[in-house]
Amino acid sequence: MSASAVFILDMKGKPLICRNYKGDVNMAEIDHFMPLLMQKEEEGALTPLLTHGRVHFLWIKHSNLYLVATTLKNANASLVYSFLYKVVEVFSEYFKELEEESIRDNFVIVYELLDELMDFGFPQTTDSKILQEYITQQGNKLETGKSRVPPTVTNAVSWRSEGIKYKKNEVFIDVIESVNLLVNANGSVLLSEIVGTIKLKVFLSGMPELRLGLNDRVLFELTGLSGNKNKSVELEDVKFHQCVRLSRFDNDRTISFIPPDGDFELMSYRLNTQVKPLIWIESVIEKFSHSRVEIMVKAKGQFKKQSVANSVEIAVPVPSDADSPRFKTSVGSAKYLPEKNVVIWNIKSFPGGKEYLMRAHFGLPSVEKEEVEGRPPISVKFEIPYFTVSGIQVRYMKIIEKSGYQALPWVRYITQSGDYQLRTS
Amino acid sequence: MPYLGSEDIVKELKKALCNPHIQADRPRYRNVIQRVIRHMTQGVDVSSVFMDMVKASATVDIVQKKLVYLYMCTYAPLKPDLALLAINTLCKDCSDPNPMVRGLALRSMCSLRMPGVQEYIQQPILNGLRDKASYVRRVAVLGCAKMYNLHGDSEVDGTLVNELYSLLRDQDPIVVVNCLRALEEILKHEGGVVINKPIAHHLLNRMPDLDHWGQAEVLGFLLRYQPRSEEELFAILNLLDSSLQSSSPAVVMAATKLFLVLAKEFPHVQTDVLVRVKGPLLTACSSESRELCFAALCHVRRILRSLPGHFSSHYKKFFCSYSEPHYIKLQKVEVLCELVNDENVQQVLDELRDYCTDVSADLAQAAIFAIGGIARTYTDQCVQILTELLVLRQEHITSAVVQTFRNLVWLCPQCTEAVCQALPGCEENIQDSEGKQALIWLLGVHGEIIPNAPYVLEDFVENVKAETFPAVKMELLTALLRLFLSRPAECQDMLGRLLYYCLEEEKDMAVRDRGLFYYRLLLTGIDEVKRILCSPKSDPSLGLLEDQAERPVNSWVSEFNTLVPMYSKACWAAISSSQVSEPHGPEPSGNGVLSASGSLVLENKEELQPLCDSGSFLLVPNGQLTAEQFEKTWLSLEVAHQEVLPWQGVAHPDTIQTALQVVNIQAIALSKAGVQPWKAYFSAQDGAGCLFLTELLLDPEPSQVHLSVKQSQAKAEALNSFISVLKTVIGTIVGIKS
Repeated sequence: MSASAVFILDMKGKPLICRNYKGDVNMAEIDHFMPLLMQKEEEGALTPLLTHGRVHFLWIKHSNLYLVATTLKNANASLVYSFLYKVVEVFSEYFKELEEESIRDNFVIVYELLDELMDFGFPQTTDSKILQEYITQQGNKLETGKSRVPPTVTNAVSWRSEGIKYKKNEVFIDVIESVNLLVNANGSVLLSEIVGTIKLKVFLSGMPELRLGLNDRVLFELTGLSGNKNKSVELEDVKFHQCVRLSRFDNDRTISFIPPDGDFELMSYRLNTQVKPLIWIESVIEKFSHSRVEIMVKAKGQFKKQSVANSVEIAVPVPSDADSPRFKTSVGSAKYLPEKNVVIWNIKSFPGGKEYLMRAHFGLPSVEKEEVEGRPPISVKFEIPYFTVSGIQVRYMKIIEKSGYQALPWVRYITQSGDYQLRTS
Repeated sequence: MPYLGSEDIVKELKKALCNPHIQADRPRYRNVIQRVIRHMTQGVDVSSVFMDMVKASATVDIVQKKLVYLYMCTYAPLKPDLALLAINTLCKDCSDPNPMVRGLALRSMCSLRMPGVQEYIQQPILNGLRDKASYVRRVAVLGCAKMYNLHGDSEVDGTLVNELYSLLRDQDPIVVVNCLRALEEILKHEGGVVINKPIAHHLLNRMPDLDHWGQAEVLGFLLRYQPRSEEELFAILNLLDSSLQSSSPAVVMAATKLFLVLAKEFPHVQTDVLVRVKGPLLTACSSESRELCFAALCHVRRILRSLPGHFSSHYKKFFCSYSEPHYIKLQKVEVLCELVNDENVQQVLDELRDYCTDVSADLAQAAIFAIGGIARTYTDQCVQILTELLVLRQEHITSAVVQTFRNLVWLCPQCTEAVCQALPGCEENIQDSEGKQALIWLLGVHGEIIPNAPYVLEDFVENVKAETFPAVKMELLTALLRLFLSRPAECQDMLGRLLYYCLEEEKDMAVRDRGLFYYRLLLTGIDEVKRILCSPKSDPSLGLLEDQAERPVNSWVSEFNTLVPMYSKACWAAISSSQVSEPHGPEPSGNGVLSASGSLVLENKEELQPLCDSGSFLLVPNGQLTAEQFEKTWLSLEVAHQEVLPWQGVAHPDTIQTALQVVNIQAIALSKAGVQPWKAYFSAQDGAGCLFLTELLLDPEPSQVHLSVKQSQAKAEALNSFISVLKTVIGTIVGIKS
């Protein structure tokens, strides 16, 4: 890859920040970006890749900003997009919210960061943990030349600095499985997939050596040694963080690593399994033109009775010209969000095996509007704690550091909704 | 703050920068500098305070230093003489005890894009390369590339290059990768950095230490290493297997490409690799970042072109979700169309049928065209679905369906009857030019089995004055004349009216000329008209030529993981042709293997690729030899190659001509169809200017074709490549006929 320049534009296409890395593209080229984007959008041919003459624009959108990389080369697109997302990630960690306002308020740091993130069009130091060691938000306080070189620069382990200290040494392990579901209008499941991740929050001093033990069933799956023919769990495409020693994993199936400091994703996997959709929705949406819409939604928890789904939120689409809503729910509360054209049905706690009902009634104007509307799906959000579909379990987490301190691992399991959609007819 | 014009702003800033009180008050001083930078970003020309900014660089405040250096890098090209004054401070900073300051100064100094800076930066760079802080070494290594880039014409400094090669052994991973990047830039005229066996193996061993960016880049550089033995190849593949498991899609893509290229000679390994990367690619296709998802989908389509069944069992992953952006939905529809097989066809069609009624007209039409694509194999099912869509009486749907029908009857004549039954009534729901043309064409060509065809065409004739699209009028002329041949009684009158209108009232010259042509043609008698207009009503062979069914993996692997798969074919061709004409020409592609200009020409003639498998031999469109020139050249040359190929049936000059045209072989002269002996002459030219003259002589008894080729320069290799292209095309034509 090599990006000639990186721009951050506002919604109108005006540059807020520009950084010319290579000097081989005229910086004025960016003026063509917005007209081009509008033109392509009009033609219905918008893609994340635009060209003007010899210049390729690769762009992403984040809140009210466009981040654009320009290049003359026939570059490796995934790398450029990954870099732009990395920029978003790093900025977000510095400013919490990355948006026009925060860019304007922090433009000095933005320039400082852009300087370190990339040189001559090539990504350099992009780890925000390491960047935070020498570019600080307190830049406004005057530090006179004392800024030190992060020791990481010469470390054998590029993702962790030496000399980290915590009073209380702890590791938090989150096992999170997100369910992606797509059901078509006549109720057959088109896609049911689970994306699992193990996330760690590490507050450990020194250079600790960690070993994570998973339950055997999952481990066998990971290494493809499972002799079980009718397996219910099938892990696919397992990925580890760079810090995991893959050679050790291949040899004796131990997941051992020196972790980065703070939050990171240790591993991820996909699960293709034929489990019942955890929350099943049946809906009848009857539209009587010029008079009213009647909606009936039945939700059923198809998971173990002992488990409870929390903060369940079922969003049911309604026509944009609907008015005078009336609801009746067997549990929870429903509210109408006219700006999004949905009814949101909230259920605080939804035990497995239960079935609930909501009815809604809307009026429709007698004069129908011209434009045709799409058919948005019903989407569901939920969280089921202490439960994983795959049955993955953390057996142990060994933490060894040469100073020999005692550290506590904490484990939490959550199954939650990912892209969970049921189409309506 | 009162509104100030940009001149006032600059004046005010200048005053503030010069003010000794402000200079003494550090926070205020820095504040003013920040304001300068802010205005610079907003596009205000603040170059006139350059001198004052240079003064501000002499500070212990590192943030202020950074800002001032940023300012200098931006305006140095405008004020080269003043920038030279800053060099002194920069040089001093290059030997600061703080490595951050050293690195910053060196980076900024190398980024001053102005003439004459080279002599000042050479020494600091050399010092930087040997600095004990890796931060400074990283900067210095890229500084070499920057320095060279400033003076592209200067000699490549051998010692510097050697120094960089030796720094490949540096213990800092970023220094290693930066060395590769710098060498690539410095040696770009000599083909880039050389990856020999020791370097390749050194890089392979360092892979685990590198970050994602470095890994992706090194995988790109390794493309140019050719393992000596099969054993070594497999050792490398084993070492890199973990890259396929990387959590970064960019590394996965780069690794896939490397695997496919390394296994070039071993098709079975390539297939294994593609099976291996299925999972990672599918993950990338459902990536949270829509741009990465888009990139992955484009690459999946490339793979499907070589291995049509590859993702068939995962077809559900390519079903669209409501909230996805348009460009992803369109790609998914294309993918679905390409991965259909006996098992999933029903589900895929059900899904596509849902999209046909989407609110977005673009998606609906794309889905209809996709069903049309599937119809080439699963004709009956698809025609039924398409027919049902007509009931909806939506303009954009009807238009797309009718266009699909037109293409379909041409390729799959067996569905003609079903299509013709579905047509009546469509005319009421078509408004756009493309749709009307398709409908009129169908009515003209198959009018004899559509009872109301003349009446529909009559409506069009009635309203021809109000018709806005000339293309529709032309289509109408042709269709009506064709229908007149099969149903003269019903058409004679309106044909007369249409011709009258075209000759007397029409203002568009092309339409008028077409009308005049048909009028004169009719004067020559009905037999002549029949002979000219009654061409075949379908030609399945065109579909094969257009599809190029399966392409070998090696035909696209060099473009894998570049921008090429992400553009549509037509779009990339347009971009690349505009780039070739640029005076500078495109730079070598970031990923090496094939120089961009090479791949551009190839892409331009993409149809050619599957036919000439090596990719190194190219025919270019030549400035059409005239018949006389051809004859002269033909007579002056010796026959370089002769061969007899099997042949079946009569020759259709059009088919042969079109097929050869696709690969840039121009027809000079052809006998009429059915004439015996049937002869044809062709000419072609390769990139090096060598001419190939070809004679085809058809021998009906026994059915075979004699092939003679003459060549203007005696080059055996080019001749062989040319003959293999020619034979492939002839083979395709014969294959279709049999």
